[in-house]
Amino acid sequence: MTILNESGAPDVVSPLHGLPNLAERLPETLLVVAGTHADAHLVQSLSVRLPGTPLNSSTQHCGGFGVHPRVVFVVLEPDEEQSGGALASRVVEAAAGYRRTELVLLVACRSVTLLGFDAEFEAELVGRRLGLPVRALNPAGDGSDVLYTDLEDSATRALVELCPRSATGSGEGQTLPKGSLLGKLPFRGRNGRRMAKERSGARHPVVLLGALPGPQEELGAELTRVGVEVAGVPGKEVGRLPTINEGTIVAAVDPYLVTACRAAEQRGAMVSKSLLPIGVDGTARFIQDVSTLAGYGASEAGRARQVWESLEPLRSRIRGKRIFFTGDTGLEVPLARFLADAGAVVLEVGTPRLDRHSLAAELSALGEDVDVVEAPEWRAQLDRVDSARPDVVVASPGLYVPLVARGHLCRSSLDFLSLGVHGYEGARRILELFARTFERAEKLDTLNL
Amino acid sequence: MKILRGVYEGPGSHGILGIAASTSGVHTVLRAYPGEWYLPALYGAWTRTGEPAPVTLSPVRNRPGGTWAPGDLAQDLSGVVRRRPEAETLICARSEAALLSGEGTPILALPENPKTGLSPKLVTCEWESPSIREAEAADLGLAELVKAHAQQGPKSLSPTVNLLGPTAFGPNATAEYDEIERILRLVGVSVNVRAPLGATVEDLSQLPRAWANVVLCREAAESTSLYLQDVFGMPRVTTPPIGSVGTGAVLRAVEQLCSLDPKLVRRAVWAELARTTKLPWYARLAVPETFRGRRVALFGDLTYTTGLGYTLAREVGLEVAWAGTYLAHLEKDFLFHAHTFTDEAFVEDDPEAVAARVEETAPDLLVGTHLEREVAEALDLPFLPLCPPIFERSFAERPIMGYAGSTVLADALEGALREPRIRVRAKSSRSTSPTPEWTEEALEELEEIPAFLRGRARRLAEEHARTLASPEVTPEILEESRS
Repeated sequence: MTILNESGAPDVVSPLHGLPNLAERLPETLLVVAGTHADAHLVQSLSVRLPGTPLNSSTQHCGGFGVHPRVVFVVLEPDEEQSGGALASRVVEAAAGYRRTELVLLVACRSVTLLGFDAEFEAELVGRRLGLPVRALNPAGDGSDVLYTDLEDSATRALVELCPRSATGSGEGQTLPKGSLLGKLPFRGRNGRRMAKERSGARHPVVLLGALPGPQEELGAELTRVGVEVAGVPGKEVGRLPTINEGTIVAAVDPYLVTACRAAEQRGAMVSKSLLPIGVDGTARFIQDVSTLAGYGASEAGRARQVWESLEPLRSRIRGKRIFFTGDTGLEVPLARFLADAGAVVLEVGTPRLDRHSLAAELSALGEDVDVVEAPEWRAQLDRVDSARPDVVVASPGLYVPLVARGHLCRSSLDFLSLGVHGYEGARRILELFARTFERAEKLDTLNL
Repeated sequence: MKILRGVYEGPGSHGILGIAASTSGVHTVLRAYPGEWYLPALYGAWTRTGEPAPVTLSPVRNRPGGTWAPGDLAQDLSGVVRRRPEAETLICARSEAALLSGEGTPILALPENPKTGLSPKLVTCEWESPSIREAEAADLGLAELVKAHAQQGPKSLSPTVNLLGPTAFGPNATAEYDEIERILRLVGVSVNVRAPLGATVEDLSQLPRAWANVVLCREAAESTSLYLQDVFGMPRVTTPPIGSVGTGAVLRAVEQLCSLDPKLVRRAVWAELARTTKLPWYARLAVPETFRGRRVALFGDLTYTTGLGYTLAREVGLEVAWAGTYLAHLEKDFLFHAHTFTDEAFVEDDPEAVAARVEETAPDLLVGTHLEREVAEALDLPFLPLCPPIFERSFAERPIMGYAGSTVLADALEGALREPRIRVRAKSSRSTSPTPEWTEEALEELEEIPAFLRGRARRLAEEHARTLASPEVTPEILEESRS
């Protein structure tokens, strides 16, 4: 494996495109986007279905147009006098219009800081006034390269920070009555009493981060099967967050949940540094390592062999196919690892940002002859795809149409975010998706046009 | 600071990108934060030509020191010159956040194009500021491009005009240009240059060859046509060529400016009235009761809103309850034109406030942008999304302008106004379950909802009450409808 840093400008659609999806996944959450007119326009114009992206429920409201009903904009005027707390008042006003809100996420665009607001402070004020947990998200990060999934990372981080530090009852996560959550959830700055509850020797509950609800359950079931106590997954219900403290194992299942893991580490939780549960071997290693870390210990070798065998018919469809990842979501490295294991030839793994620390296990498991290109220049990539002529390109939305026009078979990278790539079943879904893609292309190619 | 559910216009950089993406040979360098990148994805969705978007990002970010990594504007511009030899002109746009970051413009000098040995032209937009939005920036940006290229030259031998109109971001844009070009050919006038859509950099320098400018969209080409008038003495036609009357007016104006034979023009118009345009036919075939007392409300940009308003009021005979626009910088113009066909004209940039007006008026037909779709569906109003911004893109482009466009309009109107008025009204209030009454408590609850959401909440609650077949809206129904 070689890593080349191209230091280019990759094609990564603004992470704000993920807002409708986030609103769907966190049903009791209000997303308030604070930014200028331009930021609101960005979110709105990206609410159309981009070419090659999957049909899903988040684009189905208003006949596919307009923003999600639980996304609202607070538009800042640059020439207005800005005073601390003014943003908070507007957010409170906006939130008053929505019922059954358990959590408010204040998505602070770059311009919020540029106009002199402290988003964290404004969120704190809103939380005090509403009596609801309110967190500020900053998907733009520190101004370095972005991943499409940065919004999901920052939202997961917010959820981790909202998880209780100590369980009042059993280890199964705290059930909170709906309604006024103030005083029941630990806020930043409040002195949470840390009660490391270590029951039954050195066995620890496991909290999973990431994945869609379906694969979450499948993975949870796999872990339960080997005896691991799964405390929960933050996100399903805001009122039902698992405890995260020194005794918890936190296992992220998506490679891009970097700041969320960091937040868990700051809590003192142990963060699993295994392979990600994407693909057969990845899932096996993940279950094995997480269960060892949690104090159980299980061997998945038999199970993995069994799954590989059952996937054989699909594998034969993929074997020898040449795959190119242009890269924008951060999922590329584990996907490429699995597809290479399944017999495909991975030509290039583009990734806008490569966190060598959190992806160490993945990178060492990546096949010898796979090239990783960090921060690829998107136009140069178009030329590389042209000269390499892969069988299929996993393309970012911006490259999808140009590549299809040049005669390449493409799948949108965003497809893999909504597919449910995790676990043994996820491995099957990934192979099926490629098999379907090839099948359809072959059918279309037989037409006499 | 405003709470909004949507916006009509994009930022200035979006307008400049629209102009540049429409003109071949022009490449935009967008100065923006890495998290603000969106154009290639949208460009693919909108144009579907398969060409990569002619834009390069110069990211505002912490660059690794001493590298060639993008992030330095001057260096990135030189990079584009080296790597994109087809770019004859570079235009620099800044995102709103980049403008707010307060970074200065570096002194820019472009290196030579490796193919031609010439330095490409660099167009900078000094006027960029967060308060200049999409439409105004597109107008000013086109003027900048034209100023940079237009050259005095001999006039064309036979009568020609320039078509100055919508950008590639407008739906049906190519169809609009095609239709007007077709009509002009009928009267013996050919098109010198279409700008910005379909023009090349070379074409921009040829603009002054034409005898006159026909402005299809004032919002897109006001500054350009005024510049060409002042510097090159080119007259302009600014009537929107919408409806049979509007199109005829444009043809007669061109006849004057190009000294065409009036008989030839009249014959061409008659032939079109007989063959192509069906709007006058539709207006004559339908009985007066189809239109009498029926009220239409219009909201959108300047050209389409005023053009369609005039057509619907005069040619079709509907009563225009009101007409509004979101283009605040064209307020005076808009009010002047809109008052020729309606008593109530206004400027508004909050979709929720527009929705509130629609609800208050309950017109028999709503012509608007895609942002009005929701209120039209909630009230079950006949709705025609004919004014930009329109998100829907169809593969088959149909014009709204010109004679063919007026036929498209006739079809749309027939579909929307087919049901007689009484039935439409009855349907909107669902005669089987009339508009539910509000209980005192529910009304009190409604009052607590912030004003900007109240209209929507009321519509949802009434809809929910109807589905439950409840004769009144109770606080519980209101609550349930707002989950």
